[in-house]
Amino acid sequence: MAIFNAKDRIIECKLVFYGPGRGGKTTNLEYIFKAFNKNTSSEMISINTMGDRTLFFDFLPLGLGKIRGCEVKIQLYTVPGQARYRSTRKLVLKGVDGVVFVADSLEVRRKANLLSLRDLADNLKSEGKNIFRIPLVMQYNKRDLEGHEVPLLPLETLDMDLNSKLKAPHFAASALKGEGVGATLKHALLLTLRRLQTDLKWTR
Amino acid sequence: MQTSEKESIGRLLKEAEIYRSHGLLSNSRAKYLEILSMSRKSSAISKNQKFIDGIKSKIRAVEKSLDELRKRPDKPQLNQDMQALIKKLFSFSKTEAAAAIEGAVALAKFGQYEKALYEFHLLLSQGILPLVMAKNIIRCHVALKKPDAAAEEFSKWLSRDLFSFDELAQLRSFTAAAFEKEGIHTPLPELFTRPRKTFSVNKEEETFLEISAISIHLQNGPFQSENLDFEVHFQSANTVTVHLPSTRKEIAEFFVPGTRLDNIECYSPITVFRSSGTVAGKATIKHGPKRGDYTLDISIDAD
Repeated sequence: MAIFNAKDRIIECKLVFYGPGRGGKTTNLEYIFKAFNKNTSSEMISINTMGDRTLFFDFLPLGLGKIRGCEVKIQLYTVPGQARYRSTRKLVLKGVDGVVFVADSLEVRRKANLLSLRDLADNLKSEGKNIFRIPLVMQYNKRDLEGHEVPLLPLETLDMDLNSKLKAPHFAASALKGEGVGATLKHALLLTLRRLQTDLKWTR
Repeated sequence: MQTSEKESIGRLLKEAEIYRSHGLLSNSRAKYLEILSMSRKSSAISKNQKFIDGIKSKIRAVEKSLDELRKRPDKPQLNQDMQALIKKLFSFSKTEAAAAIEGAVALAKFGQYEKALYEFHLLLSQGILPLVMAKNIIRCHVALKKPDAAAEEFSKWLSRDLFSFDELAQLRSFTAAAFEKEGIHTPLPELFTRPRKTFSVNKEEETFLEISAISIHLQNGPFQSENLDFEVHFQSANTVTVHLPSTRKEIAEFFVPGTRLDNIECYSPITVFRSSGTVAGKATIKHGPKRGDYTLDISIDAD
């Protein structure tokens, strides 16, 4: 639910990084924070007091500057991936304008990817939104593990598993190395802002 | 050790380490167990006690980490700054009261029950949705495993002129159900006498959720592609009254009594839900600063 302040011409919208636990959502945000620090208006906030697992969410506000005469501000969030935090994910998803689904390329996480995507669809539905209609980008993360003697799902399999019906734009990535993170974010922002332009009738 | 065996175990070891470094502890443990099983079956490796002990030690380390994770609280207490941030980030409504409720509900959902209790008490003292606030207060006490505090709270409400008899009865059964769900046997005071305060709220008014705003999506007609958003100015049971400025005359003209609205998003302080409804009435404001503006009565389907 983007906020459009017509008087000051400010648009604030929300992009959520969703996906199975330990899939690299927080690593994505950490990279974005480092790489786009010119655009960040504050520190990245990890409400995560238990070491390396996100218990609540991560939050990173980004300023995109003026687009079509409007100051565009984006709030990036991650959700906790572990299955037991469903109610937290629902809450973080409230008012979402766009989603990046961060899938784990490890073969052992194949089922977790599918369950998380189904969870996303269900939670969007309870928000009155449709996974087929919301601006959505798929990211196939951990591609840096190719050649590391660990079973990895081929990109085609990930796309067939997760994206055969959704047909969302998809990117191979290594959030750890920052590869594909910028491309994923830019595309997700593009889709989200395009949708907002239509929904908010946002013109110069 | 056979070369192929050596290679297989080497691969499995790398895999187990990768899973461990990625925090996939159960997968890591499973791989180490697989290695241990393979090693025991192999005549060459089963004699290499140092290797087997090494794997066992890795399994113990992973199990210890898994155990620590299991023991960690799901929703630890956050500092005041983080609680304030949660309250700010999860208050979406434009009206102050609705935003305050959303913030308090978010705090409770994130497990910040003490802070949420403070917020719900504040809202209750301001007379904002007393029954909803009271239920949330009970929920927080139960979540904090403080049934005595919940029972004491209920006793206080009994002795004050805050709720009607029916509302107190509702609160009592709500609290009893919450206790039962958690296996709590703390007794609750009985409702013997009808308090002084009586309310003439009918059943429908009591059960229909408060709606603070609506968004109408029309399937056809001139406003087909628009989201028509309205703040609710007044609500009686399932009928809400919204305000339309005179500058939006074309919309007012479109909504004639009887117009069916198949897609209405209703925003309440505690949830958003989709419904349908009918335009029940329309009037032009004849006096005051909003003279010339319109009011629309929309009857929301109570399904």
